[in-house]
Formats: sequence, C-alpha cells, structure tokens
Amino acid sequence: MIEEIYTIERQAMGNSPVHKIDARVKIIIAFSVIIAMVAYPYSVDVIIPGAIFFGFFAVLWSISKISFIGYLKRVFLILPFGIFIILFQIFFENRHYDTFTPIVDLPLNIHIYAESVEFASILLVKFIICISFIILLSSTTTMQDMLTGARRLGLPSEFALIIGLMIRYLFVFAEIFEKVINVFETRCFNAFDRRLPYNYRLKTLGYAIGTLFLRSYEQGERTYTSMLCRGYSKDSFLHVSRQRLKRGEFSFLAISLVFIILIPVISYFYL
Amino acid sequence: MHIPDAFIPLPQAAVYWLIAIIFIALALKWARNELNEEKMPLIAVLAAGIFAIQAFNLPVGMGTSGHLVGGALAAIVLGSPYAAVFILTIVLIIQGVIFGDGGITTMGANVINMGVIGGFVGYYSFKGIKKAIGNCYVSAGIAAWLACLIPALACAVEMFIAGTFPLVPGIVAMGTYHALIGIIEGIITAGAIYLIHTTRPDLMSLEAGGAAA
Repeated sequence: MIEEIYTIERQAMGNSPVHKIDARVKIIIAFSVIIAMVAYPYSVDVIIPGAIFFGFFAVLWSISKISFIGYLKRVFLILPFGIFIILFQIFFENRHYDTFTPIVDLPLNIHIYAESVEFASILLVKFIICISFIILLSSTTTMQDMLTGARRLGLPSEFALIIGLMIRYLFVFAEIFEKVINVFETRCFNAFDRRLPYNYRLKTLGYAIGTLFLRSYEQGERTYTSMLCRGYSKDSFLHVSRQRLKRGEFSFLAISLVFIILIPVISYFYL
Repeated sequence: MHIPDAFIPLPQAAVYWLIAIIFIALALKWARNELNEEKMPLIAVLAAGIFAIQAFNLPVGMGTSGHLVGGALAAIVLGSPYAAVFILTIVLIIQGVIFGDGGITTMGANVINMGVIGGFVGYYSFKGIKKAIGNCYVSAGIAAWLACLIPALACAVEMFIAGTFPLVPGIVAMGTYHALIGIIEGIITAGAIYLIHTTRPDLMSLEAGGAAA
C-alpha cells in the first residue's frame, strides 16, 4: 500500500477545477455521500442512488482529468477484504430476509440463495460508491491540503500536529520501503518462495521490519533536532489561517449537499 | 480486519464511534500527560513506521497472505496501551481517508478492534505473561499473537451484530486465519523487539526491559 503513496500524491497535485476546490468542500461532499449510502436501507432500490452518485462521481472524475485506468487500479487495490465478505454472502442466510430460495445446490449441503445474491449485490453497490468517493477525495487533494482542511473543520491540533509529521515521514518510509524491497530483489529473496526455509523467510522479514522501525526513530531524531534549531517546541501552535470559502465553492457545496440528501430520500419514499 | 463502509449499519457504526471517541480522548490525555517534548515526534514516526510495517505482506500458506497489526508492538515499546490506541487511530485515519483501507463510518469499530482491543490485550497479556515466565521476547510473541487473534474475533462478532456475516463461519474463518497470521506476528514482534532491545535499548519502555534514555 505504502508504495502507492507517490502515485496518489502526484495525482493529487493536478491542476483541474476539481483539484482547485477547497479541501473542506471535497471532504464534506465525500463523507456526506458515504454516510448517505451507508444510511440507505439494505434494499434493492439502493441501485438508484448508487447509479446517480456514481454518475456524480464520474462527472467529477472526468473533470479532474485523471485516467479511468488509475481509478480502476486503486479500486482493485482496495477491494480484497470487502469482496471476500461480499462473495461469501451468497452462501449464507441473513437476517434481512424471511425466506431463502436456493438457486444452486452444491455438495456438503451448501446452497447459493437468490436473496443472498441480492444482498451481496446491495453491499457491493454501497461499497463501490463509498470507495469511489474516497479515491476521488485522495486523488484530487494533497495530503497537506486535506490536513489543513480537516484542521479548519475542527480536527484537534494535537492530532493535526502528529498527522502532519506522520505524513512527512510516510514519504521517507515509502522510500525506505522501496529500498528494502530492492535489496530483497537484488538478493533474489522472495518471502513467498517455498524453496526457502520458512524460518529463514520470517527471520529476514523480522529483521527488515525491525530495521524499518529503527530507521523510523532515527529519522525522527534527526528531524526533531532540525526542528528544534528552527525554534520548534512541543507547545508550538501550527497556525492555520482562516479562509472563507469562495462564493462558487459555497454554492457548489450547498447544491451538492441538497442533491446528496434528496436523492436517497426521493429514491426511498417515491420511486 | 479493516471493516469497510456499508458493512456495519449507521446506528451501530455510531455506537462504535462513540466508544472509540472515549478511548481516543483518553489516549490524547495520556499523550499530553506522559509524553515529553522529544516523544511527540517519536509518536508520529512510530505511526508512520507501523503504517509501513502493515505494508509488509506475510505468507500465511495456501497462497494467502496477511499483514501485521502492530498494536502490541507499539504498546510494548512505549509501555502503555494508550500508545497503541493513539498510534493506531492515526494510522487508521490515514489508511481510511487516503488509501480507502477501512471505512469512514466503520472507523470507530476499526479503532476499537485494532487500537483498543489490540493495544490493551497486547500490553496487559505481555505484562502478565512476562511476570509468569520471565522471558521478555516469548511474552511479547504470545502477547502479539493474542493481540492479532482477539481483535479478529471481535471483528467477526461486530459483523454478526451488523447482520453482514453469520457468527460461527465468521469466527471460524477470521479466527483460523488470524491465529495463523498471529503466529507470524508473534515471531516477528519478538524479533523486532529483540533487534530494538539489542541496538537501541533506550527506546524501549522499562517494563519491556529497556534502559532509561
């Protein structure tokens, strides 16, 4: 995952109208869509707000001028745990339906139920929309802008300070991580190579993790010393200047929020 | 173990968020009271380090892989379960918001599982086992195994309460898988603590056999 950090940050440094929108607007919109999708009942109608929100996402993504392949790559990186749970749904009964109709009978008394397939599809729609908006948010907002936006939205300064420092170190670790992986490749070490003794593989990974841990601290010590030289202290307050949303940003946020609230409500009660 | 959005209904996710916020507030209080000036950046570095550590995929068997959680490691090295809560919260925020690994509405549940349960189980089992057997590395290994297994079981129970996965298959699947990953996490945590203890004992808490800085 960490090796993706450069790609994501490079995408986030774009110059499209979506990139230029204040981070607060993008954070509120992304989180609102996620909450709206999660709040929607586990019903097949979810496809309606799901399709409309995906259309909304697709418009913003195309304006951001980031390739669709880039979106697909990120989706496939995120999918595994969610897809595991979604795929296994089809074999189980759940509390959201009263009756279950087997559509496929498998050995060992395992069945695939029509209702469970429907439930798995509902989960998939919700899951895809949620991760799409997270991908949009992180691909069009640099980490520092996101942190500044979060700070302006009320994130406690202690968290902001630590996260700000952590973000800087993440790039250092991504580089160290790549170096460690390169060293593994140079030595033809593959943790999944069964020809190597298992203990040896674990020992090598253990040393690599320990080294990463130590390097992280030593990097922190050096950085901290240089911060002290620049007058930093524990009680330093990171100033975030007040910045009002532009009229266009405010209008876009207001219209988006009305849209995000109305679409699920209309879909559930009137369609 | 990172529960994505939509797998826990909103009212339940809100309850997990409330519980998580209590522990996050306690972790913040711990950070303000216990950490001196030098340890503030150390926490940030450790958070980034644990993020990087979670990027290492470990071979489990049958072509599957898993990653370390790191809660036990953080709690043992820094000598407090709140250190794990604090660090894992920050790691989960970055993973959820930037990488989409773990949800936004489910972040409360993820903080409870990996930070609170992982940190407390890792720290107190380490203390108890070390008192009983006296060996720091074996104790750390067993504690890390427990800190991997028990949050996974909690995750299975939460998914059952949410109605998105049945209880018994969930416990069997998550329990078996994380019992195996936990063995690797235990060995690697013990190895990492041995390495840190050997090269930089000043970084370790006194309870973990470290030297005063």
